[in-house]
Amino acid sequence: MNLRELVRLSLQRLGASPLRSALTMLGVIIGVASVVAVVSIGQGTGRRITTSIGSLGTNLLTINAGRSFSGLARGAAGSATTLTLADATAVAALADIETVAPSISSQQLVASGIQNETVSVLGTTPDYLAVHADEVWQGSFLTPPTQDLALRVAVIGSTTATNLKLGPSNLGQSITIGGLPFRLIGILQPKGGLGATDDVVIVPLSTLQHRISSSASLSTISVSMADGADSTVTSNLITALLRVRHHLAATATADFSVTTQAQLLSVASTVSNTLTLLLVGIGSISLVVGGIGIMNIMLVSVRERTREIGIRKAIGARRRDVLAQFLVEAVVLSLLGGILGIAIGALASLVIGQIAGWGFVFSLPIVAIALVFSALVGIVFGVWPARQAAVLDPIVALRYE
Amino acid sequence: MAASAPRATIISLQGVSRTYRLGSVEVAALVDVSLDVADGEFVAIVGPSGSGKTTMMNILGCLDRPTSGRYLFDSVPVAGLNDDQLALVRSRSIGFVFQNYSLLPRTSAIDNVAAPLLYQGVPAAERRRRAQAALERVGLADRIHHQPSELSGGQQQRVGIARAIVTEPRMVLADEPTGNLDSHVGAEVMALLRELNASGRTVVLITHEEAVADAADRKISLHDGRVAA
Repeated sequence: MNLRELVRLSLQRLGASPLRSALTMLGVIIGVASVVAVVSIGQGTGRRITTSIGSLGTNLLTINAGRSFSGLARGAAGSATTLTLADATAVAALADIETVAPSISSQQLVASGIQNETVSVLGTTPDYLAVHADEVWQGSFLTPPTQDLALRVAVIGSTTATNLKLGPSNLGQSITIGGLPFRLIGILQPKGGLGATDDVVIVPLSTLQHRISSSASLSTISVSMADGADSTVTSNLITALLRVRHHLAATATADFSVTTQAQLLSVASTVSNTLTLLLVGIGSISLVVGGIGIMNIMLVSVRERTREIGIRKAIGARRRDVLAQFLVEAVVLSLLGGILGIAIGALASLVIGQIAGWGFVFSLPIVAIALVFSALVGIVFGVWPARQAAVLDPIVALRYE
Repeated sequence: MAASAPRATIISLQGVSRTYRLGSVEVAALVDVSLDVADGEFVAIVGPSGSGKTTMMNILGCLDRPTSGRYLFDSVPVAGLNDDQLALVRSRSIGFVFQNYSLLPRTSAIDNVAAPLLYQGVPAAERRRRAQAALERVGLADRIHHQPSELSGGQQQRVGIARAIVTEPRMVLADEPTGNLDSHVGAEVMALLRELNASGRTVVLITHEEAVADAADRKISLHDGRVAA
């Protein structure tokens, strides 16, 4: 009996009781659909993380003050106070460095009229805009004169603008930062992406140092590399330079950390991959439960069809013929479930992708894996019932009522 | 041997016994049975219920093996074969006709008749052709797509006979083929079996009705698991 015959026979058999077949497949359908949907969601999130980290500035390197940097958690910025403006100037002089933007961040109460919120106020230089690949939506950004004269001017992020109910018509008006009046000169384009990148108030570095916080040390130096520069090489170069400038012994831990975009990307994708894996694991459990459902129904089916098995044996079916018949039936059940599951999972990813805004993410490898796995489920959970059928004694089976 | 001309022996039982264990009790269903059937004979094995007919049929049909003694089917010692080898003998050389027809449910007449060919690895087109020919031979050419539930008892039994002969077996083994049929339809079925025998096939009929057994060339009576003289 060849495979085509067996598949035809199985389909005929399953078609004879469609409701029962559908219910039997349900577990596999749910399992495969959830795995497919979850993987596609994982890939969509991954893609979004990549683009949003890219939007931070592709050639961006960040030097943070402070010792520890593990994963995304680092010691509070400014916990070490050793990065100085002189460090920033020295870094700027290195090869392959295009622009450097030193900054100090400070949490301050910002108010406009009756609206107020506590925001991270960033004191930085005009170069910040280029280094971070930010764009001004309305008004202007910091200029060298505002920096040199330590003017009380402020540029705000889009989220801050919304929170404080500020719009283009409010440019030139006064807002209060840390109790002092500042003139609003610009609003930034929204960047989207991770964290509160759009909830920020930017003022000249000199202004922040002189008027708000008297600290002389920097919390961050943002560095943009020349096109084509190797981020690892540049990062090592900066580390070496700063270690010398900070008089660190060869064995001492650095009191700063240099982060490249590649590192951020790998951390972010590790997180997203771990989450995906977890959810795939949960989906797989449903696949196994589905397999047990198939085994259960196949066992019932073997019992119900004992006479049929007896007849088939009497007219010449060998053990392996009966085994193959029931095994193929189980595999056809689980494969059909797998195919339906893929269709439903694809539909779910389409809908979720539309809602979440990353479009339709669907990978062919996951389809192939899902098919292979559903076939495996059929084989693993079909073998035992099929064996039960194969070893039936024809005499007993023929007389079974 | 009842045959007048020397013919090949297809069945040869030599001191065959079959005992079953029911718990701690041993029940002897066949005791020291010896008999020969020549190729092309029409033999009836007759006996009341409990005489060992069913056991006899199982052993002759290679569904079961004797506990002791020798059984040569077409000169092959069957007792030493394993399950799959027995299945092969059944597939190639024996056609079964059952009292309750034993057709595959929800399967058309032609697919029922073609089923034994499936296990011989015959290609689909040839299976159809041969199954159709077999159904025509039993007079059911107009019923080939009917399912068993749509056929009368007599028609179902004729499908069963078509299935038994579709593989061109050496021997047809009929177990109470008329048991579920009224006498008129039963006579038709018997006529079909006679016709099969006339075309040279060995037919072994197992029945408890002397009248049915009379249709055979030779009667072998079973009593308490022994062949009566």
